[in-house]
Amino acid sequence: MKQKYSIAIIGNKEAILGFKALGLKTFNANTNEEAIELLYQLKAEKIMNEETKEERPAYAIIFITEELAMNIPKDDYKKISKGALPAIVPVPGSKGATGYGIKRIGKMVEQAVGSDIFKE
Amino acid sequence: MAKLDVKPTRMELLNLKKRVKGAVRGHKLLKDKQDGLMKTFMEIIQEAKSTRRTIEDKLSKAFKNFMQASAMMLPEMLESALLYPSAKVNLDVTTKNVMSCYIPYFKLEQEGDILNYGYAQTSNELDLALSAFQEVFPLMIKLAEIEKQAERLAEELETTRRRVNALEHKMIPDLKETVKFISMKLAENERAAVVSVMRIKAMIEEQAEQKA
Repeated sequence: MKQKYSIAIIGNKEAILGFKALGLKTFNANTNEEAIELLYQLKAEKIMNEETKEERPAYAIIFITEELAMNIPKDDYKKISKGALPAIVPVPGSKGATGYGIKRIGKMVEQAVGSDIFKE
Repeated sequence: MAKLDVKPTRMELLNLKKRVKGAVRGHKLLKDKQDGLMKTFMEIIQEAKSTRRTIEDKLSKAFKNFMQASAMMLPEMLESALLYPSAKVNLDVTTKNVMSCYIPYFKLEQEGDILNYGYAQTSNELDLALSAFQEVFPLMIKLAEIEKQAERLAEELETTRRRVNALEHKMIPDLKETVKFISMKLAENERAAVVSVMRIKAMIEEQAEQKA
């Protein structure tokens, strides 16, 4: 049974409009509270598989602009990104890269190894 | 290091010896798992870094194009042009098991045309911007895949590292010390028993000599 997932993007209007044309599901959020609420909603959204009657998350990837992603509290982020899906991925927004994405990778290294061994 | 709170009996000693064996075996297995995870993680994290850099570069260019496009057009026009996209994206997800940690792989399926609007009311820049988005999009999916994998592996690595350390620096030394303590105690008891038997034998012999 092939499983199909959707892709969502959360951000301000300028950031998401372009992706709408690509066929992504776009969600407009201007404040952090809105973004967090949206994330919870999207994570909770489930699709029923008609044949097997199995439930699975509707979204496999949720892109979120860096400006919004960097202000999500740690606890919320942990809750949202738990499990194999969905993948929460910060992308640079319309204002350009903030360096948050690279920092996030550094944090992962720190978590895994004990210290950020790739720090420049 | 502290020895465990157990009674120094032969039975405890046997139990503890079994536990030491189990702990050492578990430690070795977990250490191997950690090494395996670390190998995969390092490969992925390097890739993640370079992909992330490329994306930041390309995406900001795409946004610049898009900004120009939106500046050239009326906001209402822009919105109505993009209101009903005919392009559709679907994602195929498969998982792979790396050292008992499931990591996802994404496969993108795109259909439809992204330039789905009348050309009369839109600017040339919009076409360019959208094709720029279209170009980075597969890369973004790749990034999502790699970063999610890295995230999962990092989590798993953290717990494994903690377990390995707990076994190596706490559990195994504690058990070993307790085993040592019990075997010393048992040997001591044995010696005490021998000595007391010798004493009693001497006393009995003394008594027998006095009677004779």
